[in-house]
Amino acid sequence: MNYLLPERLDRLAREYVLGTLTGGARRRFERVLSQAPAAGRAVAAWQERFTVLSTSLPPMAPRNAVWQGLEQRLFAPPRKSAGWWRALGGVLAGVLLCTVVLRIQPGLIGLEPQAENLPASYVGLLTDSEGKPAVLASSRRHGRQLTIKLLQPLSVPSGRVAQLWALPRDGSAAFPVGVVTPGGSSTLALSDESEKLFSQVSRLAVSLEESPAKPGDKPTQPFVLSGHCIKLW
Amino acid sequence: MPAVDDLATLMSRTALHDRAAFERLYRATCAHLLSVAFRILNNRDRAEEVLQEAFMNVWHSASGYNPVVATPMTWLINIVRNKAIDALRSGKTERGSTVALDDEALEIAGDAALEPQRLLDDSLTKAHIDACMGELNASQRQALALAYYRGMVHTDIAEAMNAPLGTAKAWVRRGLDKLKDCLQAAGVAA
Repeated sequence: MNYLLPERLDRLAREYVLGTLTGGARRRFERVLSQAPAAGRAVAAWQERFTVLSTSLPPMAPRNAVWQGLEQRLFAPPRKSAGWWRALGGVLAGVLLCTVVLRIQPGLIGLEPQAENLPASYVGLLTDSEGKPAVLASSRRHGRQLTIKLLQPLSVPSGRVAQLWALPRDGSAAFPVGVVTPGGSSTLALSDESEKLFSQVSRLAVSLEESPAKPGDKPTQPFVLSGHCIKLW
Repeated sequence: MPAVDDLATLMSRTALHDRAAFERLYRATCAHLLSVAFRILNNRDRAEEVLQEAFMNVWHSASGYNPVVATPMTWLINIVRNKAIDALRSGKTERGSTVALDDEALEIAGDAALEPQRLLDDSLTKAHIDACMGELNASQRQALALAYYRGMVHTDIAEAMNAPLGTAKAWVRRGLDKLKDCLQAAGVAA
């Protein structure tokens, strides 16, 4: 059966999202979904449509135990100074990421962890489909190099390359940044100053392409890694 | 529901494991999301378990959220609804033989047949597609409401509405066709 006929895809997608597609049919569609971007788009469109049906639901406040249980499960073991994390409430996410970055690789952006002034940089932390950090990319604000650090082995099938893409904030097409070499750290030469390339970029992503992308190329394969790209200054 | 822009910001900070943002995201959405799970499970304890599991996922996979593909609320509803449906189906045997009767479940059981229909009607009115969807007959609307709010599959719907399976399937299909057309005509969703 050709699942990719638009009408058939739409019918499967809507029953999949609704939950009335069950058993073997559901599993087969999930396989299609993992491979065909068109299926993902059909599913996303139906999710958005069904959200309209949820607008009338009367709110129902969960008991406090739900949040307390979440904190316990996610952030245990309990610390002595329990108020410490709360005090961080107003701290910008970028600074948090930076802390992570510096702990992982203090020398990466040329700073001691205790330093108070950060050099202006762009940093991207790409995670795999399970949310595990996989690639750290960083560049000085006016730098023309992008430093790539692999945080876990990157498996690239033979005949493919791990192409890094930048995804602009406004949703316009991704543009190629360079090829990530599997194994250790590497440095990519940028086509322009990172400030010019990345100031409007909100995400970075990696797809396994058949050949390195040229300027103007678009991704032809699904993203295997992705993550936010943020400014630090 | 909270403003979309705020949620998008909270989502992106949660993706960077900002705990304060994660708590605000939870506080801003939990009452709506618990309601989603509760309509399906009809049991507060189980609905709250599902909500907690869902937010475990949110913490771990917020970086996979793509604002181009879905609004934050759509993404969150989908996680909660799928988990609630899984919980409903995995606990089906147990549910058949034991009936949880807390106050809220009693309240719902009181008009179990009417409630999904009412929720659907209210949503359609809010989205200004009530007139368009009014072209469906009552059975078609009820079948769609049972599938969406109760997480029922075709066989459940056929049983609940005392209709042949094929008829129940056709009602759902017709309801979905119409929903898409009406939303498109109203310019509410793609």
